[in-house]
Amino acid sequence: MITLNINGKQVNLDVDADTPLLWALRDDAGLTGTKFGCGMGLCGACTVLLDGQVMRSCVLKIGDVGTKAITTIEGLSKDSSHPVQKAWIAENVPQCGYCQSGQILAAVALLKQKPNPTDADIDAAMTNICRCGTYNRMRAAIHRVAKGTAT
Amino acid sequence: MNRTSQPPSAPLSRRDFLTSAVAIGGGLALSFSLPAQEGGPPRPAGPPAAPRQPSGFLQIAANGAITIITPAVEMGQGGHTGMPMIIMEELGGDWKQLVVKDAAAAPLYNNPLFGQQSTVGSFSVRGWYTELRRIGAAGREMLVAAAAKEWGVSPAECTAANSVITHKPSGRTKTYGSVAAVAATMPIPQNPALKANSEFKVIGTSPARNDVAPKVDGSAKYGIDMVLPGMLVGAIKGAPTVTGTLKSFDDSAARGMKGFHSTVALPNGVIVLANTYWQAKSALEKVKVEFDPGKLGGIDSAKVSALLHSGFDEQGAVVRNEGDADKALAGAARVVEATYEVPYLAHACMEPMNCTVRANGDTAEVWVGTQSPQAVQAAAAQALGLAKERVTVHMQYLGGGFGRRGESDYATQAATAVKASGRPVKLIWSREEDIQHDFYRPAAAIRFRGGLDASGKLTAMEARVVTSAAPSFGGPPNAGFYTSSVGDMAYEIPNLKVTGINKDIGVRFGFWRSVNQSHNPFMLEGFLDEVAAATKQDPYQFRRSLLQNPKAKRQLAVLDMLAEKSGWPKRQAGHFYGISAFGAYGSYIGSVVDVSLKDKTIVLNRVVTVIDCGVAVHPANIVAQLEGGMVYGLSAALRGEVTLKDGAVEQSNFHNYPVVMMSQMPKTECYIMPSTEAPGGVGEPGTAPIAPSLASAIFAATASRIRSLPLSKHNVTVVAARV
Repeated sequence: MITLNINGKQVNLDVDADTPLLWALRDDAGLTGTKFGCGMGLCGACTVLLDGQVMRSCVLKIGDVGTKAITTIEGLSKDSSHPVQKAWIAENVPQCGYCQSGQILAAVALLKQKPNPTDADIDAAMTNICRCGTYNRMRAAIHRVAKGTAT
Repeated sequence: MNRTSQPPSAPLSRRDFLTSAVAIGGGLALSFSLPAQEGGPPRPAGPPAAPRQPSGFLQIAANGAITIITPAVEMGQGGHTGMPMIIMEELGGDWKQLVVKDAAAAPLYNNPLFGQQSTVGSFSVRGWYTELRRIGAAGREMLVAAAAKEWGVSPAECTAANSVITHKPSGRTKTYGSVAAVAATMPIPQNPALKANSEFKVIGTSPARNDVAPKVDGSAKYGIDMVLPGMLVGAIKGAPTVTGTLKSFDDSAARGMKGFHSTVALPNGVIVLANTYWQAKSALEKVKVEFDPGKLGGIDSAKVSALLHSGFDEQGAVVRNEGDADKALAGAARVVEATYEVPYLAHACMEPMNCTVRANGDTAEVWVGTQSPQAVQAAAAQALGLAKERVTVHMQYLGGGFGRRGESDYATQAATAVKASGRPVKLIWSREEDIQHDFYRPAAAIRFRGGLDASGKLTAMEARVVTSAAPSFGGPPNAGFYTSSVGDMAYEIPNLKVTGINKDIGVRFGFWRSVNQSHNPFMLEGFLDEVAAATKQDPYQFRRSLLQNPKAKRQLAVLDMLAEKSGWPKRQAGHFYGISAFGAYGSYIGSVVDVSLKDKTIVLNRVVTVIDCGVAVHPANIVAQLEGGMVYGLSAALRGEVTLKDGAVEQSNFHNYPVVMMSQMPKTECYIMPSTEAPGGVGEPGTAPIAPSLASAIFAATASRIRSLPLSKHNVTVVAARV
């Protein structure tokens, strides 16, 4: 039995310690908003926040999570009221939407670190793959959040 | 309100008669009639299959809810918004009361343009536009008739908008919901009046896509998210070679592992079933599997290329023959010759292939994101030994489609595992399986010969188009399909011969976003750019000179708009432009790519895209599709390549099948040509212009001609400009 801090709650999971956090979240904790894309930490569809830092959950074993606070897309807000979610809606970012949980969390982490990121900051921090090609809308949404917090 | 009837010349389809209006739960449900022979085989004896959606395309409930059943699935292309918009335009319904549902797998939802229930080929709006308008208009007329009857007035004195019917002389109103039940008893108008384009209030606007909200909070359900009580999860290992088959397996080392259930043999692989995916994947790694490499066990990419090139000397099928190209080329003052080639490509949808199946005695259910619900239904039914009418398909969101999810191999596999295990199964492919067991965009090549007269005019052209796909690609053998955008080019060349040649290599092929237009325009536009350069003509003006026939006016207009919007005539020093434009999927599309040179690196300043897609149903979504399609094409142009070695695909995941990321994303500008023409396609065309325009821009900047893709093979590095 392993205890994880997921979205502010202590959750006990009967899972082997070498199970990737992604699959513990999806198959055992029932949180399917975090997506499987590549299994090698390459695409970022599985991105979650670990104490506010981006983490690709497909390559992190749950035995290595410890007491760090895990935030998944389901824990970002109760009603899509997080500024990044609002900006994503305003810019109509998602197409197929499959990568967007991870993209949104990557943007949350970036904006926490750099509330007013430059395009170069966005290029460096937003390294998740989107096959629908929504990159420019994500960029616009991130700038939108930055402008909102600047005023 | 002025309304125009359908012009008598409008093509009639089998659905032109609206015959099914049913009162359901105090509301109205509208459907089309289906001739008996198109309803499929007679229902087998016994209890009916799992419940279908009640009927049709449009339901109006007593509480005012307007349920629209969309024949186009949602894979990010906007099917769940665009289809309802077309009905709502004519219905005059309140958008806030809209509920969207996916269609069941049923012949009723076969696309009128090509007779299959598949969200493919940019066919959805094109195929359904008129029929959905008629449904909406018939619904409105029946609702108005019902209200008029209750008031005892003439329907002509009533108007309808925003789900409210108004009796103009008295100002009385009734809501759609309040008269829905009575409307269901009204005669069904056989030729409902449709709005004039100038009266559109919904078409041409850009309401928020209704799948956006669930896609920002994790609640959108994709096939991979399905959970059923008692479900096993499957992990799959396919044969490493493209024609490999299973010889044997030994799962003794996996049997004791936690959660392990069983191993299922497939013709070309094995599935390990366990309680969770990670347990299944961990156990799969312990299963020893032996494969027979099959007939292509020795193939590699050099052999594929050689086979394609051997096709140039074969007879093939002539798809276009004007003038006498052979004679004109023989007598030409100068001949320009070039060969173009592209590799196999994988789709790499973000959501790996998956499918969930449950058998319930003599019925079954499938949960899947698919572009082809009936194909999945048939595949699962066959694997389970059921009639397909006994299989219900529950549509989920698609995490990317791009043509890959028009196939149904994953459904066959999941159903096979259900039959073997007797349990519900969710099968999930790894990314490695996805890249290595795709239905690949066929490798293809074209050899061009252009004949110039003494004045430098292009008087003759021969194109020999060779595809690695089988003649069955795209339906019955038809060279017109895989030669498209070349065989049916709008450019006027007095002596023109286009020949299609199949070199069916045996590697699994399929539809990849923009299909033949993913390579033919790259090749044709590249060659024309070569002719322009050889005759020292401006690439834009040269194309203009070949588009003077009135039949080419829409392509010419796109070309001109590209030149205007990109500032072609006033290119700044240090900016090099490439241009291309062509017809695709009922639309005309083109782009200008603007690059600079920094040392030896190509700096991609911006991509300007123009589309004439006829009536633009949802302009903002069209722009999104153009941007996204361009990125898909850019990934392929820069580094996209599936190569073969010893019969196996060499790529396996995003480290060796790299795609465009944020840092490589160029600035984009997209423009939609104002038009009242019938709607054309949008999802596919956007992928096509980037490769030819980029290659021509690179030529303008470096004088080196790119005749094969990806660019990485030519040591060309492209970066996106950042201010």
